[in-house]
Amino acid sequence: MTGTGPAPTTAGGRDLLRPLKLFGLFFRIGALNELQYRANLAVQLFQSALALGTGLAVLGLVFGQTTNLGGWTQSELLAVMGVHILMGGVIRTAIQPNMERLMTDVRQGTLDFVLTKPEDAQVMISVREFRIWQAVDVVVGAIVLAIAVAQLQSGIGLGPGLVFAGCLLLGAVMIYCFWLILTTAAFWIVRMDELHELFDGIYQSGRWPVTIYPGWLRISLTYLVPIAFAVTLPAEALTSRLTIETLALAAAFALLLLIVTRWFWRLGLRNYSGASA
Amino acid sequence: MTSPTASTAPGAPGAPTAPTIGTGPLASIRGWVDLYVATMRISIASQIQYRVSNYFYMIGMVTEPVIYLVVWSTVARQQGGEVGGFTPGEFAAYYIVWTLVRNMNIALTPWAWEERVRGGELSGMLLKPVHPIHNDLAGLAGWKAVVIILWLPIAAFLSLIFQPTYSIEPIDVVVFLVAIWGAYVLRSMFLWLLGLVTFWTTRVGPVFDIFFVAELLLSGRLVPLTLMPDWAQQLADVLPFKWTFSFPIEALIGRLPADQLLRGLGMQVLWIAISVSIVAVCWRLAVRRFSAVGG
Amino acid sequence: MPEPAIRVADLRKTFRVPVREAGLAAAARSLFRREHRDVHAVDGVSFTIEPGEVVGFLGPNGAGKTTTLKMLSGLLYPTAGEAIVLGNVPSRRQSDFLRRITMVMGNRNQLQWDLPALDSFELIRAIYRLEPTAFRQTRDEFIDLLDLRELVSKPVRNLSLGERMKMEFVGALLHRPQVLFLDEPTLGLDVTMQKRIRSFVAEYNRRFGATVLLTSHYMADVQALCRRVIVIHHGRILFDGALADLSTRFDSTKTIGVTLRDGTADLSAYGEVLSTEEGRTLLRVSRGDAPDVTTRLLRDLPVLDLTIEDPPIEDVIERVFADARDERPTAAAVAGGGRG
Repeated sequence: MTGTGPAPTTAGGRDLLRPLKLFGLFFRIGALNELQYRANLAVQLFQSALALGTGLAVLGLVFGQTTNLGGWTQSELLAVMGVHILMGGVIRTAIQPNMERLMTDVRQGTLDFVLTKPEDAQVMISVREFRIWQAVDVVVGAIVLAIAVAQLQSGIGLGPGLVFAGCLLLGAVMIYCFWLILTTAAFWIVRMDELHELFDGIYQSGRWPVTIYPGWLRISLTYLVPIAFAVTLPAEALTSRLTIETLALAAAFALLLLIVTRWFWRLGLRNYSGASA
Repeated sequence: MTSPTASTAPGAPGAPTAPTIGTGPLASIRGWVDLYVATMRISIASQIQYRVSNYFYMIGMVTEPVIYLVVWSTVARQQGGEVGGFTPGEFAAYYIVWTLVRNMNIALTPWAWEERVRGGELSGMLLKPVHPIHNDLAGLAGWKAVVIILWLPIAAFLSLIFQPTYSIEPIDVVVFLVAIWGAYVLRSMFLWLLGLVTFWTTRVGPVFDIFFVAELLLSGRLVPLTLMPDWAQQLADVLPFKWTFSFPIEALIGRLPADQLLRGLGMQVLWIAISVSIVAVCWRLAVRRFSAVGG
Repeated sequence: MPEPAIRVADLRKTFRVPVREAGLAAAARSLFRREHRDVHAVDGVSFTIEPGEVVGFLGPNGAGKTTTLKMLSGLLYPTAGEAIVLGNVPSRRQSDFLRRITMVMGNRNQLQWDLPALDSFELIRAIYRLEPTAFRQTRDEFIDLLDLRELVSKPVRNLSLGERMKMEFVGALLHRPQVLFLDEPTLGLDVTMQKRIRSFVAEYNRRFGATVLLTSHYMADVQALCRRVIVIHHGRILFDGALADLSTRFDSTKTIGVTLRDGTADLSAYGEVLSTEEGRTLLRVSRGDAPDVTTRLLRDLPVLDLTIEDPPIEDVIERVFADARDERPTAAAVAGGGRG
């Protein structure tokens, strides 16, 4: 930082990479901050190991009684579990912390600090927090996935691998939209303490392919809470179950959610500014 | 203010405190009942204001058994209609009763202690002439009255969808009604004990996690214990967990013969006695530690 | 002689605090070998307070006031020394003892946030096992005294800070304790609210002969309520006596305010000029010179108005702590590199 007066800006107009740059900035701050508390890494490793052990034990119990569950073999379910852990890691690393901070900010009125910054408010509130140690689950999930894929007879080529990565990205976007829509409701309903528990509870259903659930629940877990898209879909890509139609549907739904989320966020913001003025 | 003697002689020793309801066994019982009723009323009055929050909690809570139920009924159907002695209908009965037992055995989360110690709430509790565990026991008991009302339509809905099969005898109901309170008190004691760990270390997470994983696997919360391997069942038998989940559930759905019902209640009493003693000792130690290092 | 309400003899409290140096290497080292430093929060304090006395406990932040109050109310265990309150050892926390004391801390809320205060009062009745009729009588008297009739049935969260604090006082005194520990009870309140609470405490003390030990940053609280003050600094008592004696002991000056008929004049010949505002000049003179200076002023000048006052108590207190630094170089002064 040099000089007085308004600092020179990098570029005029819309910078499409701006969200990524902001994310990089906050990521560095968050990471540096958490690196000071390395003992937390040990705690996180322990907790991830415990959760993994529990998941494997449950899987073992089920396959102690049967050889397939709703058409899925044990290795295939291991893949589902890998995606579930990985996506859970992404959620707890980057999505949930931001949403919880937003909720606190709305309740305490500190959101004003964000709104007075010359950046897009939705981008700002979405990239502020990053819990680096929670990313242990991303690694654990990836390892479980790798083991599962190795067990699968078919193996995996470059094409399906790319489709899988695309599905993961779509899933993360949908979960983000879902969380932000719910959190935006905090502009109207100030007390939503149990939201975190609610989501954690529902997210557990993703441990199993949604196809085993009865119809009404399967539809809820697809369109109401997009867990089917976030977890089952990538797993289907890996186990050669994914059709091009389903993939197209997922992409369309993700786009729709993004638009709705943007609209709802703006509505909430207008309500917030109106209330605090 | 109309006060007796004190105003005439300021500074006189023994200025009277407010009259109490007196001593003696009868007054003592009246005092305890009064305390529990008052705390429960306060708790109900404040929880009723958080219906949205409570419904969120309820939906999140119900998801867990529904997942288990779907998985295990699927397995049962694939195995010719039964697994580990449970048909899909019996699994449904098990996990629907599960939701009621879960509501009943909810106790103060051990995480609450972090805020209590740091936020200064504990100091206020220590200044009161009553052991703070009564506040927690009565407060959450009152809260249950609110969530049970929210639970009824959910239970009806689940029954409609999953078609549970019960074979309930009157004796089962009686034992169940006692056992859910036993489960509540027992689980409260253990979670309180777990919470007290906060007085000695700030990294409580791993300790809590070990407890909850052990509870998940060995209490019947995850699956009916008959589906567990033999060694796990034997382990569960000597630990307190199953008396807070599996026992009340299986008592109501009619899977336990009379002698097992009696034995279960006996085990609850035994474990409550053990845990109350440990809580009494550990609370003393915790307060000593707290009053040594800061308040 | 009646038994004193509070008797404290050579009371000490030492905290062991970990020493943390900056930097990652130091943090890693501290995982294995923690270094500690002893902090003497209360360092040999002795006093007695008779029943019915209202005593102000003064001292800067970190002087040991709150630590002492916490030891007297049983929240902290003393490292050494003795404290007896109402004939009890507070740290035993016997319920008979807890029924006879109360502690009010500013900014602490023990009423149910979402409910009307009346509901919380009912709970307090049950906790202290109060006899219902007498309880209602006490409660209503307190409510009227603090003018809370309209507010007791509103949820506490909807009350202002001052209204909440008044409710807090009602709740804290419902069991009619004999000893009151008040730790910054008027913190953050506006002047009217402070006055209201002050007069309530005074009234309670008068009616029930209760003993009050009070800390406050607001000297007005102390002046209005306490005839006796105990000044504590770095865990030690610097002064224990009548509030009136505090200024004689630590400040040997008087302030003379002069207003002249025909505007201002240079009065520096009479004493140290502190300020001149709207025709009124404030002079500082030594206590002994005050009568003489006054006589000369009245003789020499067309005086319209003249006042003689003790210096503001805040200034006296500041002087007390300044003197304390002179007498005993403390850790803080040394660390600050100050001359003291």
